[in-house]
Amino acid sequence: DKLSYKPKLSMASPTLGGLTTSSTFTLEQPRCVFTSLQDDVIIWLVVAIPKAVPNFNNSVKPGSPEREFQKFPTGAGAYMTLNTTLFNYPCPKPPGEIAVLRVGSETSCAEDNTRPTCNGPLPGPGPYQVKFLALNDSNPVAETAWSDRITLRTARQLSSIPTTGSGRSAGMIALTSILSILFAILLAVPVAMLVFRGSNACGGSSSFSKPEAVTVRRYNTHHVYDQPAARL
Amino acid sequence: MAKSGDGIRILQGLLVFGNVIIGMCGIALTAECIFFVSDPHGLYPLLEATENDDIYAAAWIGIFVGFALFALSILGIVGVIKSNRTLLLVYIILMLITYAFEMASCITAATQRDFLTPNLFLKQMLERYNKSEADNNNDKWMAEGVTKTWDELMLQKHCCGVRGPSDWQEYTSTFRSRHKDADFPWPRNCCVMDAQGSPVNLDGCKLGVPGYYNSNGCYDAISGPMNTQAWGVAWFGFAILCWTFCVLLGTMFYWSRIEY
Repeated sequence: DKLSYKPKLSMASPTLGGLTTSSTFTLEQPRCVFTSLQDDVIIWLVVAIPKAVPNFNNSVKPGSPEREFQKFPTGAGAYMTLNTTLFNYPCPKPPGEIAVLRVGSETSCAEDNTRPTCNGPLPGPGPYQVKFLALNDSNPVAETAWSDRITLRTARQLSSIPTTGSGRSAGMIALTSILSILFAILLAVPVAMLVFRGSNACGGSSSFSKPEAVTVRRYNTHHVYDQPAARL
Repeated sequence: MAKSGDGIRILQGLLVFGNVIIGMCGIALTAECIFFVSDPHGLYPLLEATENDDIYAAAWIGIFVGFALFALSILGIVGVIKSNRTLLLVYIILMLITYAFEMASCITAATQRDFLTPNLFLKQMLERYNKSEADNNNDKWMAEGVTKTWDELMLQKHCCGVRGPSDWQEYTSTFRSRHKDADFPWPRNCCVMDAQGSPVNLDGCKLGVPGYYNSNGCYDAISGPMNTQAWGVAWFGFAILCWTFCVLLGTMFYWSRIEY
């Protein structure tokens, strides 16, 4: 019978960092969804491209050439994987447990044709649609609804990262201009001193005041001999 | 003495004091720049791989300038106390040369700081991390340096990527071309490690469960030390130069007042 449950990406909180990568995605486990199943019924996950969804045949055996992972998506419109019994989806879900299914995590069997039900990395960014299908000896017993389209991440080229500088910061401009001005002053002062010293103007005038500071006192011999005579 | 008044005595005292400060700052600058050059955070290979490590050149210049300032300050003190014109002239000329070098160092450090943006490190990480084939020896050396530095950085600072682990998902990289996305959504070192150096929970790390992988970016761990270095060299040098400017002006004035 057809259940109304729609598989969806894991809603674990806080969000998983690897919820979707470029070749994997993570679904919630279908806990408490299949309620009236026998113990030996196997629940499969069907991964399909949207084109193969409308005329999907539930009776095709998993692993048959139409359902081989290695031929997906060009040779086979869908594949089936992650087969397990209801035992692995216990109900109710204990609180705090992260119950997820990582689609695409088995890299070892991705090229192995003897493993057509491999849970291998998805070949492209999608989009994909999934559903759960319960089979009892290849007879479909129950199925969920198809999920919404799941698109994986596409990586941008690293050459597209712009590395041109962010321009000059204000601090650097201030530093450069102030230092340049100070240095210019330091060079200009001795030059100015030399120029003014040559033109005999102010500045080092104290050294030129030397001749005036020393006065030669001339003794007038007449004057000296005259004075005692005047007194006497 | 030209004017044996108190004015000259005060000027002499001030110049001696100024030179003492310059000497001490010179030693401090040398010590600070030696500290930076010794690369305590181990980030030099990242800078080397940008092929533009001017911040380190500025620090090297700072070491020698600091030492020169110390030596010249002693010369200056002797020259001022003896009022010797020749000594002071030599002092002024050598100080101007040192001033020019220190100015170059400050401006270089400040300019280089603006060059180091998150995108620069992101591109470098994506290109060089885990790169095995190299065009030449130099390239190989830089790639090894970058890989080793990032591995240690992610392990010790508990971070991943420049902005976060999503860097490895958002962009193509050399790492991605060597490791499958399903096995390694991000490098192994982004996982929380136990004491033996293996991930605590590898599946949790691959899934991106908080607590089993490092979800924050390493940019703060990189830019923090580099900012400190750039500002330390640039602004401390700037402060020294402002003080030296005043002392030099005073010395020039004093020199012009000395008798032949």
